[in-house]
Amino acid sequence: MKYMNKSIEELHEMLVKKEVTSAELIKESLEMSHKIQDECNAFVTILDDAQPVEVTDNLLSGIPCGLKDNYSTKDILSTGSSNTLKDYVPFFDATAVSKLKAAGAVFVNKTVMDEFGMGGTGTTGHTGTVLNPWDKTRMTAGSSAGSAAAVAAGVYPYATGSDTGDSIRKPAAYCGIVGYKPTYGMISRYGLFPFASSLDHLGVMTRNVKDAAIVVDAMKGIDKNDMTSWDSSHIHLRESLDGKVKGKKLCYVKEIVDLSNYENPSAELKEHIANFMKTVELCKSLGIEVEEVSVDKTLLNASPAVYVVISCAEATSNMSNLTGIIFGPRGQGDNYIEMMKDHRTKGFSPLIKRRFVIGSYVLQSQNQERYFRNAQRVRRLLVDAWKDLFKKYDGVILPVGSGPAKHLDGSKDILDKDTAVLEEHLQIGNFGGFPSITIPNGFISNLPVGVNITGNCYDDANVLNIAYALEEAMDYKNQIAKEV
Amino acid sequence: MSSKFTKEMVDDYADKLLIGLTEEENASVLAEFEIIDETINTINKIQDIEKVEPMTHCLDDFEYELREDEPEESCALEDILKNCDVTNGREIEVPKVVGE
Repeated sequence: MKYMNKSIEELHEMLVKKEVTSAELIKESLEMSHKIQDECNAFVTILDDAQPVEVTDNLLSGIPCGLKDNYSTKDILSTGSSNTLKDYVPFFDATAVSKLKAAGAVFVNKTVMDEFGMGGTGTTGHTGTVLNPWDKTRMTAGSSAGSAAAVAAGVYPYATGSDTGDSIRKPAAYCGIVGYKPTYGMISRYGLFPFASSLDHLGVMTRNVKDAAIVVDAMKGIDKNDMTSWDSSHIHLRESLDGKVKGKKLCYVKEIVDLSNYENPSAELKEHIANFMKTVELCKSLGIEVEEVSVDKTLLNASPAVYVVISCAEATSNMSNLTGIIFGPRGQGDNYIEMMKDHRTKGFSPLIKRRFVIGSYVLQSQNQERYFRNAQRVRRLLVDAWKDLFKKYDGVILPVGSGPAKHLDGSKDILDKDTAVLEEHLQIGNFGGFPSITIPNGFISNLPVGVNITGNCYDDANVLNIAYALEEAMDYKNQIAKEV
Repeated sequence: MSSKFTKEMVDDYADKLLIGLTEEENASVLAEFEIIDETINTINKIQDIEKVEPMTHCLDDFEYELREDEPEESCALEDILKNCDVTNGREIEVPKVVGE
């Protein structure tokens, strides 16, 4: 690997100085794509006919990247990693794709994901399980599984992701890279396959914070096709990175971080929390004030169920158009009902079916108040609790998950009462639409772990700058997975 | 296992969604229902929860702006039909829907 381990700015400089051509970068990225496909099963499609583009002033011009397979790409297979769309070729580009194209980005592959983004393991895509490039017996987490594996392995400097619960930020931690989802609506959702519309965010996975800022600068913007998008033309993420964080304030939540909240904590969990506290001390050494705060434990414990209820309900509705009649493989049957049932029964994975049934149940008129409305009420209470913190603090800093990547043979993707809060707290960032970034902060059992910083809506530049300063003070920037 | 959720109930909801479940898939739904229901019980104990306004969207301060109603060019029909398995000329073909 000569080029694809480099940052976007380094590659841009080489392209401008003509030390390398866009064609040479694409060639190496495609070679790496095939290698990582063989080793980690990260891609639905590899675009072997990707063409070089003119190098302009735009930092992304001529540089290869990957797109998660729930981004609609005109004339390119876009499956959402589902059998229900295994042959689906969109006739339009997602707005974010159009913007990247306009910037001169070169797409070299579409990455595997958990089916329609509705999983957190990287094991439910219709083309099979994605393996973690650091240790192929471990999961990448998901749903942006292939994007995380590919960026970590050095296929290219960045790939897009989407995040409804933690689907960018958790795989980033498990793969030792950066995962950033900006404030809700900063990037248009037009052309992203919808999972849960009130929680869905687009974002990016990179190997350093500045690259994340560069890519989101290119993807963001108000869009007439997404009425929830907003004008962010006054926000310049890359330019706002100055690393000056003295006097900034962060907090962490005692009820999530304190080991006494967990029965029989594993050795890895203990090490993960100890490593997190080391990062807290590092923040302090940079001049950041970090304080411990308390949040109502009942609310925190309710968060995972709130997520399941709201996301499943929205997904059930969003995916009722998957019938195999107008698009998707036609099912068998004597009438249209039988045909649709055959299409959906054969097309959806067991995980998706489970989530749809839960969504249907909580939306029944007799159940709505108890489940769906109450989940929406707790969503507000949790968001209000975080917004209260943001009155005093620039961000909340917390460890990602309960340790490094889990073994694949233990994957289940079902609510686990014991470590649910630690595993699932990033969902609060989706409840409130908060900007949220994961960066690598160390190793446990020779595997990377991550730390997350989440701030208030529209305060992306501040959140990224804190992450940027912290990243500079650690040794994990631009790391490439070592087993590959 | 609580009697509140039954295999038949799960199958009924799946059927309403036009989805068939295997025995294993059905059991998995039942197991997750139990966990969700337990948590919802906790939620219902939060004082005055019913007085909280349900939150349906991330950005409460968001102001929607309606754009001008201007006609735009539609997608080409042949592009749309490319993703359909069974077509007849310019139309999508389905079995007879109205009564025999």
